[in-house]
Amino acid sequence: MSKTIFQLVDQLPAKNLTTRVLHALDWVVPGDPWKNLVGFENTIKAISGEDDQKLIQKIGERAIALYNDKSQGYQRALWLYQKVDTLQGMAGFAVLMSKIGDQVNFLSFLKHITPKPETTQCADLGVKLIVELLAFTTLNGIPGDSFADFVKSLSDYHDEALMRMVAIICLDGILPLGPDFLSKGLSLLSKSGSGALEKSERFKNVQEYIPGGAVAEKLSFLQKGMGALQDWVHTFVAARSLNTEKVVGNLQGFLQGVGSKLDYVTAFLDVATNYVEHTGTQTVARSLITRAVSEI
Amino acid sequence: MAQSRIRSHSTTYPLLILLIAGCGSPADSRWQDAQTASRNKSAVSREAHDGKDFNKFFPKDKAKEPWDFVFKQEKKGAAIADLKKDGKHVATLSITDTISEPEALEKFKDSTKKLVGCPMAEEGKLGTAVLVADRYQVKIRSTPNGLSQEEREEWLSQFDLIGLSKLD
Repeated sequence: MSKTIFQLVDQLPAKNLTTRVLHALDWVVPGDPWKNLVGFENTIKAISGEDDQKLIQKIGERAIALYNDKSQGYQRALWLYQKVDTLQGMAGFAVLMSKIGDQVNFLSFLKHITPKPETTQCADLGVKLIVELLAFTTLNGIPGDSFADFVKSLSDYHDEALMRMVAIICLDGILPLGPDFLSKGLSLLSKSGSGALEKSERFKNVQEYIPGGAVAEKLSFLQKGMGALQDWVHTFVAARSLNTEKVVGNLQGFLQGVGSKLDYVTAFLDVATNYVEHTGTQTVARSLITRAVSEI
Repeated sequence: MAQSRIRSHSTTYPLLILLIAGCGSPADSRWQDAQTASRNKSAVSREAHDGKDFNKFFPKDKAKEPWDFVFKQEKKGAAIADLKKDGKHVATLSITDTISEPEALEKFKDSTKKLVGCPMAEEGKLGTAVLVADRYQVKIRSTPNGLSQEEREEWLSQFDLIGLSKLD
């Protein structure tokens, strides 16, 4: 049986490897550090600013009703965030994911990890970006192919949504592909065609919701989305002088040895963290609670 | 005697297991009724207006520097926007159709304050709302340290409430 929205938010980890990796990226957005909001009641209090229990109860009940109505799109958004971050290899790293203390000896896990081919890195990057677009349009109620509206909205991203974009840029973009990752990604996808997408487990998980019939059409949608993001991403990366050394340097604080095996890092993060699902759950909760507060 | 003890254990333990399995956490229980009541049910009335029908009544043109306006959600029965001052989110503005959530009308029952003839009510520490045509709730909810009650009322008065009252 699927979990309820209050269970999902209640069960968000307060501290685990995912949250440690995300906090290791706080330096990218110093004016808007990520607060890991967990717990359904806690999230209602934080977003509404209220602590009256009767009001909290009304807000929570309306949020639950809105979530349970599939036509409102909140379940689909959550599904997208969950499925794009669910990989078969994760089960073997479940213990690692809950690791919250001290150092994690990254090098000791290398024998369990297979580095991803560059084309799969590009496909995964593209799929995560497109899932962000699809979830955004589903949550906000605007048409699903509105690239311009999505790109415009990025300048208004904050809280966990902003941290999610930071993580995609740094961990799925810069780490495996360098600061010019989007151009490189588009170029490689153009050469590899549908084949790269078909090899991506993330793509297979969410493809039914990507517009287009055949994989080639879905690839075209992906490329269009990535292309629309180029200017915004370029500006974001340049304004913060983001590069591989900075990202690795901040991860090295608790992932021992990460700097020496860069080609394994993204594959390791794939199975040991779920930052899209974690922050995506928080984004869906925020959207629900904001609407519930408006409607009661 | 021994046989009856065995029989009572063989029924007690499964019952205990069922009892333990059926109990959620204490936090779950406050939401369970709402969860049960809303499963597989529509939360929005078919007769509710589309959110885009409300957009034109927002005071978007009044949001000149240092103010700014960003629409956040446009769903059936609801249009929601962020109000920003100097780039910082200070309030959430919304127009919602109470046809989907009639309990929202309760707060206006004993209203003594009015805005262009529409009853106005406070909500919690940070919200002020107006009811238009006995149906459309126009609400402004401040962030903590965002807007004062007077500022919320001022922004509410900037909505096109007369225009909204004429919405079919």
